[in-house]
Amino acid sequence: MERTEILNQVNDVFKEVLDNDDIALQDETQASDIAEWDSLSHIQLVVEIEKHFRIRFTSKEIQSWKNVGEMIGTIQSRL
Amino acid sequence: MTFDSLVFLAFFTVFYLLYWFPFNNNLKLQNLFLLFASYLFYSLGDWQCLFYLIGLSAANYYLGIYISRSQKVTVRKALFITGLVIDIGGLAFFKYFNFFVTSSDSLLHAIGLNPDLHTLNILIPVGISFYTFRVISYLIDLQQERIAVCKDLVIFFAYVSFFPSLLSGPIDRAKNFIPQLERPRAFDYNRFVNALRQILWGFFKKAVFANHLAIVTKDIFGNYQHYTASALLFGALCYAIQLYADFSGYTDIAIGVAQLLGFDIARNFNYPFFAQNIAEYWRKWHMSLTSWLTDYLFTPLNIAFRDYGKWGIILAVIINFTIVGLWHGANWTYVLFGFLHGCYFIPIILKGRLYKRKKIEKKRLIPSVRELANMTGTFLLVALTLVIFRAETISAAFSYLRGLVSISIFAAPNYAVWPTAGFLSLFLLIEWTGKDNEYPIQSLGLKWPTWCRWSLYMVMVTLIYYYSVSGPTEQFIYVQF
Repeated sequence: MERTEILNQVNDVFKEVLDNDDIALQDETQASDIAEWDSLSHIQLVVEIEKHFRIRFTSKEIQSWKNVGEMIGTIQSRL
Repeated sequence: MTFDSLVFLAFFTVFYLLYWFPFNNNLKLQNLFLLFASYLFYSLGDWQCLFYLIGLSAANYYLGIYISRSQKVTVRKALFITGLVIDIGGLAFFKYFNFFVTSSDSLLHAIGLNPDLHTLNILIPVGISFYTFRVISYLIDLQQERIAVCKDLVIFFAYVSFFPSLLSGPIDRAKNFIPQLERPRAFDYNRFVNALRQILWGFFKKAVFANHLAIVTKDIFGNYQHYTASALLFGALCYAIQLYADFSGYTDIAIGVAQLLGFDIARNFNYPFFAQNIAEYWRKWHMSLTSWLTDYLFTPLNIAFRDYGKWGIILAVIINFTIVGLWHGANWTYVLFGFLHGCYFIPIILKGRLYKRKKIEKKRLIPSVRELANMTGTFLLVALTLVIFRAETISAAFSYLRGLVSISIFAAPNYAVWPTAGFLSLFLLIEWTGKDNEYPIQSLGLKWPTWCRWSLYMVMVTLIYYYSVSGPTEQFIYVQF
């Protein structure tokens, strides 16, 4: 799957989980850029992304991403 | 030594002048002086435990160095676990050993055994829960490569013992605080004025509101058998505001004092009584502790339990909040307090609303009926649960709560509530109108004529003085934790 396509699909998951249609993710987007994205909602996002792409992240990966780009990189490596 | 003592005023005045004048030209000397002052501050109240503070700092400093030098994952892990055992073991020994012994003794007696367990006469180091959490977060962040090792011994020791937040927090993380110790600090007039304003507000909350409410709650909680349910409800509401005014007052002073020294420390409160549900309340109350536990306890648990859906989140939340309760002290009342708060999340999680925040729009003066109902409901729930937090024992808490379940809840309170009710309303009004600021009076009067604004400050100072000399002064509540 193309990186752009993954980003679009992840963006849809973010909109759904965080209940915010204005979200427009980029590689550089960090948790501090989106008010609703905190450590609580992060796990919910992870669960939904895992379900969506049918993949499984490790605990270390989940806690190590610094921005959306790194998360997309991990997803891409699993597909 | 606490902030509301003359000894602190004398200590800080001398320290402040030396800090900014002779020592400001040399960062290393300034940090060393800050460390020395922090140890002096600590030892004036608790000199015996200074050795523990120094020992804990040294253990974590050297473990940090060895962790960063080690190439082998297994060695790093072993050093990291050693650090956790030292930090958590020390906290458990000083704070929870006797609780464990007495609880085990009761349990064994209940099943017919007579083990003859003895408690120890342990002196609990003041502030241990706060500085232990600082060093634990440093080790975890280092192990997970979120931060670089701190090689400067003075800087690390000063981070652990920074006196404005040493006794009652906020619990600063190394990631935010150590870089501030590593760079030169410049005096900034606007920051200086803002710091003094926040300190003034902190003292005002403590001396005028918290100390006054302490008299009311002492009376109602101490003689609860004689009061109507309506008076008991009033007492519970007063205690919630007292605790908030006391702890957030302390925090405002700590933040202000740190700002005077050129440091930005963690925020601890964001108008928690205007939260619309319990999840939002905990995002606004004692934020440095809740964010710490969210990062280092709840998140790993939540990740581990993520296959169990909402019930996994519920389990993680309940464990997390039981630990929040236990963090406050070795008493089953705190455990029950935390456990109940964890349970209050269950409906929110089941409805899928944990992550969806309802925010009151900024600059809006009048809340909607729904917002007001949500805020009132959350506040009542918090206040009633704090009855357990305040009580000496669980049975005492339930005696008080049983007193609330009475037809006299609809009767006029047999306590002179009106002067204090007016007081509470004034406090909540100031908080509400200032809720868009970091603290309510941050921008109050900035557009007024100078004499007008200064009149307000002088009235506040006069009231602080009046309440400090005319009434009993209470120790800051969270210093005991």
